[in-house]
Amino acid sequence: MPLLTKEMVPGMLRQGDGFKVDIDIPPKFSVGDRIRARDINPEGHTRLPRYARGRQGVIDKDYGVFVFPDTMARGEGKNPQHLYSVRFMFSELWGPDARAGDSVYVDMWDDYMDPA
Amino acid sequence: MSEKTHDGHTELTDNELRVRALESLLTERGLVDADALNELIDTYETKIGPRNGFKVVARAWTDPEFKKRLLEDGNAALAEMGYEGRQGETMVVLENTPKIHNMVVCTLCSCYPWPVLGLPPAWYKSFPYRSRAVIDPRGVLKEFGVEIGDDVDIRVWDSTSETRFIVLPERPAGTEDMTEEELVEIVNRNSLIGTALVEAPSAIGDQS
Amino acid sequence: MNGVHDMGGMHGMGPIVLEENEPVFHAEWERRIFALSRAMGFQDRWNIDMARYARERIPPHIYMASSYYERFLLSLETLLVEGEYFTQEEIDERVAKLAKEEA
Repeated sequence: MPLLTKEMVPGMLRQGDGFKVDIDIPPKFSVGDRIRARDINPEGHTRLPRYARGRQGVIDKDYGVFVFPDTMARGEGKNPQHLYSVRFMFSELWGPDARAGDSVYVDMWDDYMDPA
Repeated sequence: MSEKTHDGHTELTDNELRVRALESLLTERGLVDADALNELIDTYETKIGPRNGFKVVARAWTDPEFKKRLLEDGNAALAEMGYEGRQGETMVVLENTPKIHNMVVCTLCSCYPWPVLGLPPAWYKSFPYRSRAVIDPRGVLKEFGVEIGDDVDIRVWDSTSETRFIVLPERPAGTEDMTEEELVEIVNRNSLIGTALVEAPSAIGDQS
Repeated sequence: MNGVHDMGGMHGMGPIVLEENEPVFHAEWERRIFALSRAMGFQDRWNIDMARYARERIPPHIYMASSYYERFLLSLETLLVEGEYFTQEEIDERVAKLAKEEA
């Protein structure tokens, strides 16, 4: 339980929080894969927004291995897994009247998705 | 106290009193250090702000090699300029083009790239922006005075993880002769979030 | 959790209010609660996800009526109590004492 002193402030701000985990875990998805966001409704903390649940998207980028917020929030450990940028088209999220071509990118962990 | 706060909500409690109560309890217990608190405040009020982002944009516009590195690995390129750390551990830079307009939101919270832009403005943290940016970005942009043509695709980036995004706006026409130092002065904060464009200096004069 | 914080795609929140030449903080208490939250976060008794969950659990009618730094304040109280630094009674007593001194 370190007390933050004035001298420690610059270092603390530079250092960041260490969300990225330096271990080699195979990714479940590759760039270009079609996925469907899981329709999960946890009572605890999650980073999977409701508007994306159950919707299909495409993996755009693999950021590497990160701690998993849902378990971190419950004090149940890092549960490290790959984090990806996933592209959801507006037509998939908001229906056929939405403008084709517009899209939302959501950052998604392995446990938020299944192959579509 | 029932005065309106900056984003239009009525105060629920005497915020000032409750914050002072917490600070006095934490100080008595030796859990916080007054000098450290002041240093944190001073850092975000005077040292880390959107000017960092302006410098990044101006360099990317004038140094193609830097721009390439910036788009490929935001962290490494930003670290070259000394911008790294808290609320910016994984930085992704999104390039606007004549066909693609990027804009950034955090629907769940108010996540924002602190090392490059400082603390977020009130509108970014507001419920109208958080709710509508992902469903009606064109309507939102109109409220900022920005019209996006129908031949341009919009990409909205929802900051749901610890990844932080900044937009690299398009360099406006008519700035070809400007130096990196001069370009720093024409960039604006909202253009790095994707809710503004950058105008050439004469156009800025016309607008006001 | 399926809370009001998860507001992407919702309608009816009104126009976006823009402020010219906006200061970093709008009041001294905003400066203090920002710094207190960061300094206590450094102690590692909770992580960012726990802090966010504390904010998400603010009752919806209060969440929707609160500003960003009011939510910092409400969630820090929750975290300090759940982190067993203080009881809610200790905090409320200190608030009452300071209010009395002010009066």
